[in-house]
Amino acid sequence: MPFTKKLQKFNATIRTVELGTGEKAVKLGGGSTFPFYTFDGPTANPAKIGIEISDMGLENEPDCIKAFYEGCGSVAEIAKKAASFEGVDFVVLKLEGGDPNGADKPVEELVNVAKEVSEAIDLPLVVEGCKNVQKDAELLSKVAEALQGKNVLLLSAREEDYKNIAAAAGLAYDQLIGAESAVDINLAKQLNVLIKQLGVDLGKVVMNVGSAAAGYGFDYVISTMDRVRAAALGQADDSLLMPVITPVSSETWTVKEASASEEDAPGWGPVEERGIDMEVETAVACLTCGSDAVILKHPTSIATVSKMIQALS
Amino acid sequence: MHKIIFKFESGEGITAFAASGENLLEVARKTNVAIDAPCSGNAACGKCRVKLLSGQLESQKTRHITDEEYEEGWRLACVSHVISDVEVMVPDIASAYKGRMKAADLSSPEELKIFTETKDRLKVAGIALKNSLELIPVSMNVPSLDDTMPDVERLERALTAVTGIRQVRVPYTVLKVLPDKLRENNFSVQCVVRRSAKDVFVYDLYGMDEHVRAGGLVVDIGTTTVSALIIDMLNGDILAKATTGNGQIRYGADVINRIIESRKPGGQKKLQDAVIDETINPLIHTMCAACGLKPAQIYRMCVAGNTTMNHLFAGFNAEPLRTEPYIPVFFKTNSLFANDLGININPDAHIVVAPNIGSYVGGDITAGTLVSMIWNRPEFSIFIDLGTNGEIVFGNSEFMMSCACSAGPAFEGGDISCGMRATDGAIEACTIDETTMEPSFSVIGDPGQKPIGLCGSGLIDVISELFRCNMISPKGKFIREGARIRHDKYGMGSYVLAFKEDADSVKDVEITEVDIDNFIRAKGAIFSAIRTLLTSLDFDVSMVDDVYVAGGIGSGINMKNAVGIGMLPDIPLDKFHYIGNSSLSGAYAMLLSGEAERKVYELARSMTYMELSTTPGYMDEFVAACFIPHTDTSLFPSVHQAETE
Repeated sequence: MPFTKKLQKFNATIRTVELGTGEKAVKLGGGSTFPFYTFDGPTANPAKIGIEISDMGLENEPDCIKAFYEGCGSVAEIAKKAASFEGVDFVVLKLEGGDPNGADKPVEELVNVAKEVSEAIDLPLVVEGCKNVQKDAELLSKVAEALQGKNVLLLSAREEDYKNIAAAAGLAYDQLIGAESAVDINLAKQLNVLIKQLGVDLGKVVMNVGSAAAGYGFDYVISTMDRVRAAALGQADDSLLMPVITPVSSETWTVKEASASEEDAPGWGPVEERGIDMEVETAVACLTCGSDAVILKHPTSIATVSKMIQALS
Repeated sequence: MHKIIFKFESGEGITAFAASGENLLEVARKTNVAIDAPCSGNAACGKCRVKLLSGQLESQKTRHITDEEYEEGWRLACVSHVISDVEVMVPDIASAYKGRMKAADLSSPEELKIFTETKDRLKVAGIALKNSLELIPVSMNVPSLDDTMPDVERLERALTAVTGIRQVRVPYTVLKVLPDKLRENNFSVQCVVRRSAKDVFVYDLYGMDEHVRAGGLVVDIGTTTVSALIIDMLNGDILAKATTGNGQIRYGADVINRIIESRKPGGQKKLQDAVIDETINPLIHTMCAACGLKPAQIYRMCVAGNTTMNHLFAGFNAEPLRTEPYIPVFFKTNSLFANDLGININPDAHIVVAPNIGSYVGGDITAGTLVSMIWNRPEFSIFIDLGTNGEIVFGNSEFMMSCACSAGPAFEGGDISCGMRATDGAIEACTIDETTMEPSFSVIGDPGQKPIGLCGSGLIDVISELFRCNMISPKGKFIREGARIRHDKYGMGSYVLAFKEDADSVKDVEITEVDIDNFIRAKGAIFSAIRTLLTSLDFDVSMVDDVYVAGGIGSGINMKNAVGIGMLPDIPLDKFHYIGNSSLSGAYAMLLSGEAERKVYELARSMTYMELSTTPGYMDEFVAACFIPHTDTSLFPSVHQAETE
């Protein structure tokens, strides 16, 4: 009996969100199959990788990362260098210096950093806040204003601050919004509904449905991604049909597997290798469960994951 | 020792003494001053506010009290410690009304309607409205030197002669009055007896010309509210009805806090006293005064309450209900008598207890299921009891499933800053003008009654209207600004329904984002329980023929609004029926009719209990339902349609 191939067809397509402008702009989403299911249909847009840099320069980075940026004096130079690594599709500037419990840099200073970085690179830009709800509401709104016309993605609008951030990014300054929720399909959906009710075009929204390092409650993260994608495609659920972006490096480089020194954990092997492994493993799992973009830090991880995406897409 | 005076707005005061450092709420509890503390004194609910009139209290400042109020002397009793002689005022705000007893006006047909309907439905189902209490007149020979039989034997023989039953039991209470009663009435008396197949039990004796009233007591013990009836056991008439707050409220708003409190030293007794001595006995006193019956003329009692309530009522250890594997002392018991529990009725009165089905589905539900009549129809129906615990029964004459979810006290006004029961002063219905955002509402009570707070049905209306007018987001946060919308310094929004000048209260009647959040959780718990129960049976709401809603939420419940906020499933509105306090009417039926009582035992045995906490998917359903109307709008097509129009 001949083998008849059964295709899994969905009547829905993840929205395509274009990030950045010009030649180097990238397209996120657009798929109507499960990730890498090329046997069901062609991949619309292969998953993308962003490289994470910080307004704090290299101050808080592990030694192995510092080595790649030797000679870079400013954040703009770091950004330029970051954009040059193999496999990098976009740059993610984290404004962690804004945290009132940390360096507490003023908003204007951070906005200037964002402007400098944006001018220094031709790749698309993602700007991440400092995670403090009050500060982010102001900071990300100002960044949205300052970078008008650049079509940047702002991470992220949460239930507590979506009103300011989504309104500024989505309505006033025509940027993209990252909607961040805490590892729950219903919470993800609710936030999208709230953002839509502000009048924001859902075609400008990218979701961050939560992230963790592999082994740290990670099963919840990937099963949420999996369910989000299955519900989006299977039920053509309009409020879940947006691409997913997942910050990976911010989770994986702080866990002990990546940070414990070789003296403290002699049996575990070289610290740099461990950091790369954690990053690659976490990123690959996120991609296979439905992330359309991941944010990484180590150039070797980026090259590795990029190779995988090319091979499987 | 310091002297503490609790002043009430009525001007009365109660004096207590306490050592330095003692907690004011504890002192109030010891002194039986009812200060409402639903959160059990954890500074979480902000309800236990008192006003310092003189003296000093060492008191922490909390988010529940504004700077201005603190200046005026407002303190939370639970975080206040005694450091000197003090005088505090216990205010008359919405929550204080909760504990007030209210005797019903039986001349209003509305009050009696559910009981008349209950009787009618039972008759239709072929259940005889007859119980084992009856009145038997007997005439005995007057003793003489030739006939020296003792009094009791004379009575026993006379009753055996009439009934044909050999075994006649005469308790101490009757023996004690027997010689006088017989001689006063020349040995012809009417006996109030309970007749079974095996024996006759004598409760009381009356003269031949006396008008006999054999009373029965029906009590619904709710976690928040206790309602009671006195009925005439011989003809089923309602003689009196009254409602009051459950005295246990000061030991916590929900069953879990009550159980925890009952495990403290002396706690079991305290909780039992709170419900019997402070709640049920005063209800009996008030009702007896209203109908002219003596408490001793109440010969039987029926109690319906959730499993925890009937355990605490009986003075049983309720701890095993709370901890795995959740085992109650009993599902069904007939071993309770008035005398053992200290209930002020005839000491020999037997207490019928509506049977429990599980640790969290109790007699209030089995009794309610009886009067919902869902067991008597081939069509599928849902019976929902909206109490502090929300319980759901689904099924038909072939099978029934039940489950319970923790809705919190919001439906009865608990956990809501201006929440109150559906009694005088409660806003029971409300509409809001979309343009001006001005409310118009109806208040329970005499014409001109000013609002004091919000009851469950009022809450449903207010939240539904706030949502309809785009004033709140589906998460319940304020998204419009206006004269009646304000934000405190922590950013929490609220909507003022009545400023204090227009209210019968010491503060504005308002609804806050925290209230809305509590209510969204309550409605989410109910809706997700319905969904989970139906989904587990592969049923769809479209297969449901009728929905019977019961509970103290208020008869003014607007089903359209309840559907609109996603509390009840989106099916045609004519399928919804509000059946009032079905626990009370069910207990009434059990007391009045022996057949009804047996039917409830049968229902309890045949009902399948589903434990939601161990059901996978319930949490998902719950989070999805904590949104107005629901995260999945396709479940609420009519709401969606109204929005797009």
